[in-house]
Amino acid sequence: MSAGISRSGGRSEPAIRVEGLVKLYRRTAPRDQFRTLKSALVERSLTRNLSREEAIVALDGIDFEVARGEAFGVVGGNGSGKSTLLKLIAGMIRPSAGTVRVAGRVAALIELGAGFHPEISGRENVYINGAVLGLSRREIDRRYDQIVEFSGLAEFMEEPVKNYSSGMYVRLGFAVAIHTDPDILLVDEVLAVGDEQFSHRCLRRIEELLVQGKTVLFVSHSLDLVAGLCNRALWLEGGKQRLVGNPRRAIDAYRQEVAEREGEEHRAESEREEEGERGDDGEPLRWGSREAEIVAVRLRVGEGAEAEERYLLESGAAATFEIDVVANRPLDDFVFGIAIATPRGVSCWGTNTDLAGWLPGRLEGAGKVRIHCPALRLAPGEYLVDVAVHAKDGAPYDYRRKVLGFTVTSRERGEGVYFPEHRFAFEGGIAWREPDGNPV
Amino acid sequence: MLQVAAQIFRFRALLWTLTTRELKARYRGSALGYLWSLANPLLLLGVYTFVFSVVFRPRVAGADPYALFVVSGLFPWVWLSTSLLEGTVSLTANSGLLRKAVFPVELLPAVAVLSNLFHLLFATPVLAGAILVGRYYGHPVGGWATLLTPVVILLEVPLVAGLALGLSALNVHFKDVRDLLTNLLALAFFLTPILYRIEALDGLPRVQMAIRANPFAPFALAYQRTIFEGRVPEPSLWLHMVLVSGVAWIAGAWLFDRLRETLVEAA
Repeated sequence: MSAGISRSGGRSEPAIRVEGLVKLYRRTAPRDQFRTLKSALVERSLTRNLSREEAIVALDGIDFEVARGEAFGVVGGNGSGKSTLLKLIAGMIRPSAGTVRVAGRVAALIELGAGFHPEISGRENVYINGAVLGLSRREIDRRYDQIVEFSGLAEFMEEPVKNYSSGMYVRLGFAVAIHTDPDILLVDEVLAVGDEQFSHRCLRRIEELLVQGKTVLFVSHSLDLVAGLCNRALWLEGGKQRLVGNPRRAIDAYRQEVAEREGEEHRAESEREEEGERGDDGEPLRWGSREAEIVAVRLRVGEGAEAEERYLLESGAAATFEIDVVANRPLDDFVFGIAIATPRGVSCWGTNTDLAGWLPGRLEGAGKVRIHCPALRLAPGEYLVDVAVHAKDGAPYDYRRKVLGFTVTSRERGEGVYFPEHRFAFEGGIAWREPDGNPV
Repeated sequence: MLQVAAQIFRFRALLWTLTTRELKARYRGSALGYLWSLANPLLLLGVYTFVFSVVFRPRVAGADPYALFVVSGLFPWVWLSTSLLEGTVSLTANSGLLRKAVFPVELLPAVAVLSNLFHLLFATPVLAGAILVGRYYGHPVGGWATLLTPVVILLEVPLVAGLALGLSALNVHFKDVRDLLTNLLALAFFLTPILYRIEALDGLPRVQMAIRANPFAPFALAYQRTIFEGRVPEPSLWLHMVLVSGVAWIAGAWLFDRLRETLVEAA
């Protein structure tokens, strides 16, 4: 079809091979948006206007291979080039340099419902969408019942698609796309749109395809899903390939960087925050008499000398919260407190020196408070920290809300906020199997 | 130019699916359904008949009944102009489709031309009925040569499709193509012998030459021959049509092919 993309079906070659891939997008300068043929003809700049000018680099120097039957994850922030990569592999857009080789039929679950017409019934749209995705009428006939069953929209198939909810629309599009019998499935965040039941059905179908030896390339912001599903993963950042390999490693590296960036943001905020500044929820972030002040808060992960300042940690790791305080006048009534909550405000843990039984003597000049947890057993997720210094009766000297954020990861998924050490054991007629179907 | 043609041929099943999608979508939800296709030309014919036989009676030599004379050129013109207008915006209007799937882009202008060709097809019963009525009242309109009309239409397809392809590609990059086209089509309509016979301009050789240079003129003349006069178009007219159509296709498809790489991302 094009110079940069070739499709073939040799047995031994990898399902996807990407070499030296670069993608530039043309920048839409303001004058471009109002460009007219009339002015182009008048200014005799027709050919110049049609040639490429300034470009933004969407992807730069991407190299990786995906073996047949592999589940390959792609993680990275918004604008990191994940979707561009998927579209290049799908052949929707062409590389500016480098090559993409794809062996076999590709189904791209990137944008669903291509060719859907709102005025036409779901049934007819299945045929149109199928045709756009490269199925013949006979092939669609044969799969029609499966498609309808998968979508769970049997009773709506004669309705025009304009009457569908957005969820129904996507479900139908997904059902058609996944029944095109692909060798390679490209999945981009679509699982997020359906309801719980549907996304489970999609995941089951993806796992089925993997068991059949199909290749799946999976882009998601749900890192736990990538970790759970993929054999390998690629971490993209700013269009550059940061890491390819074990999904755990790629995700941890990605999370580490995000957490560091957030940590910097929090620190930057904590430096510039003044009285009265408000958080995202409209509540003030800092208040108090400032007779004593919290100057900085840090999180150190690890034990003793190995502890380093980090904002990403494995559940159960040793962690130390470090608070720098300065007393603006000598105080003999003071309590240091800390509280950890989820971003939604679920309180996880809080304590203070008073509750812990410390009786205040004197606070003068600068000092450091360290709260050490030998094993911080929080469930995987994001957390925010409030820190305060106040009088015993609660009158705040300096109360700082959401002064610090950090992320907890774990190899296992779990519900809630607490993650005690645990393991499963079974007896009797309970059997388990490996992901490939073999018994354990 | 060949690649464009080959792509359209290769994806003819999809072309067909998308064309029926257009047709179905247009008539879905209207009480008359496909009858609308019949109603539009019927209405047009009725209005022209009323205007030119009741309101004022033009004396155009060799163009009686005038309403039938006009619609014999007008129906194909409506096909041409709507195909071009819809074809021009076909890529920008379907940018969602282009971005969502690996898609043979040339199908979209082709769908515009093909679906409007169906509307022309649906209008043929109206034309046939009008010819029969005309003959019943003693006018020497139509004849066996009228059956050659589809050949003329087929000859015009590369012209319309070539222009639609080129314009659709240009419209992706320049936002005023459609507006320019609307004006140019209005001008071209009067430069095409539809409302008058070209012989009427025998006294104005320069104007006549300008009209003959208009690529749509030979087709309008051919429709007058086959539909209205019931005569086989003269060989020079056939040659003229083949040349114009071939050149337009080559130019349009070439331009489309040159801009192909940029279309999906810019649309």
